[in-house]
Amino acid sequence: MRLRQTTIGRSIFRSPDRRTERDQAAGHWSNFWLHIYPVKVRRRELHFGYSWYLGVASTVLFGSLVVSGVYLMFFYVPSPGSAYGDIQTLQTQVAFGQFIRNVHRWSAHLMVIAVAAHMARVFYRGAYKAPREFNWVIGVMLLVLTLLLSFTGYLLPWDQLAYWAVTVGTSMANFVPVIGDEVRDVLLGGDQVGAATLLRFYVLHVALLPLVLVGMLMVHLWRWRKDAMLDQGGEGGER
Amino acid sequence: MSESDPRLTQGKRLLGVVPGQPPGGERKVPQEQDLVMVSPHLLVRHAVVALAVLLLVLIVSILFDAPLREVANPFETPNPEKAPWYFAALQELLAHFHPMVAGVLVPAAIIGGLVALPYVDRSAAVGLGLRKVAVVAFTMFLLVWIVLTLIGFAFRGPNWSWVWPWDEWHGEL
Repeated sequence: MRLRQTTIGRSIFRSPDRRTERDQAAGHWSNFWLHIYPVKVRRRELHFGYSWYLGVASTVLFGSLVVSGVYLMFFYVPSPGSAYGDIQTLQTQVAFGQFIRNVHRWSAHLMVIAVAAHMARVFYRGAYKAPREFNWVIGVMLLVLTLLLSFTGYLLPWDQLAYWAVTVGTSMANFVPVIGDEVRDVLLGGDQVGAATLLRFYVLHVALLPLVLVGMLMVHLWRWRKDAMLDQGGEGGER
Repeated sequence: MSESDPRLTQGKRLLGVVPGQPPGGERKVPQEQDLVMVSPHLLVRHAVVALAVLLLVLIVSILFDAPLREVANPFETPNPEKAPWYFAALQELLAHFHPMVAGVLVPAAIIGGLVALPYVDRSAAVGLGLRKVAVVAFTMFLLVWIVLTLIGFAFRGPNWSWVWPWDEWHGEL
């Protein structure tokens, strides 16, 4: 509070002193970092039982994955000749390498659980109902993206676990009617998991899928902010 | 009456001209549907949740190392051959149905069904008791899926035969 009232503080924040709620709202409105938040929400949204805060948890886990993932990228080359050795080096020679890899692995599993649980909680809350239908659809897409991100990342250590899990997972593509073989070829870059697959999965994992996910997440949060004023009744009530 | 007279200040507070609570206290009982300021009320809660989640990740990452098996070998198929745990339910279905059903139709139906849900279920009711069909159907799906995932993850061994996880462990994370 003090900082904001100094000459320098005023020049940075350019928000009025926090005095009345109206001033507070104006301050919130003019804050860059808070632009993803609505200014006000319904009181019931503060309670743990309303959402179990699973959306926030998912977002935080995604942040943890981005940070740890960027660190891992410094030490990893996506080719069958070096990938496995890079992971071994990472775990034994790199400062905090094993720990950061653990963070990435466990955050990924937790994010799948958090996103799925978020969806279930939204269902039981009835929060997918009109006029929020489309944000539910975006949420389903975010769940699919989360699974794809997790699955593409699963291959990268290039160990037996990774190789065969992805072989099983992608074998189903063969059974897509009519274009089965083509789907498999696009996915794997060949008829079995190999060097081309590793490169494809890597690019999908570190560039394409995260970008798409962030884009969708922005729409998801924007829609949530716009709908914050809606009053969809409590448990047992009508909208 | 001077400007600093307390009665004058109280009066101004009542009118909302100066900040502070009116002498009568809160004018109404807070309701669930009332609007509250996100900053700080929601922000502090989100900060606490973020710290709790990061603490959980920190503890798990200190206690358990991410698995790393031998280097990939296309000529040596492990037995059992397991998909990641979140696809374990699909893999379990694959043992009972044609791959066209388990690998293509079921996932497509699940995603399609989830996307269609808010457009099919048009009632305005949000209470659990007021939408029994949707709640029962979704809960059944969820339970079946969790059970299939558990079976595929922990109860399947070599050649996808049934094993008890406390006898032999084949789950992989």
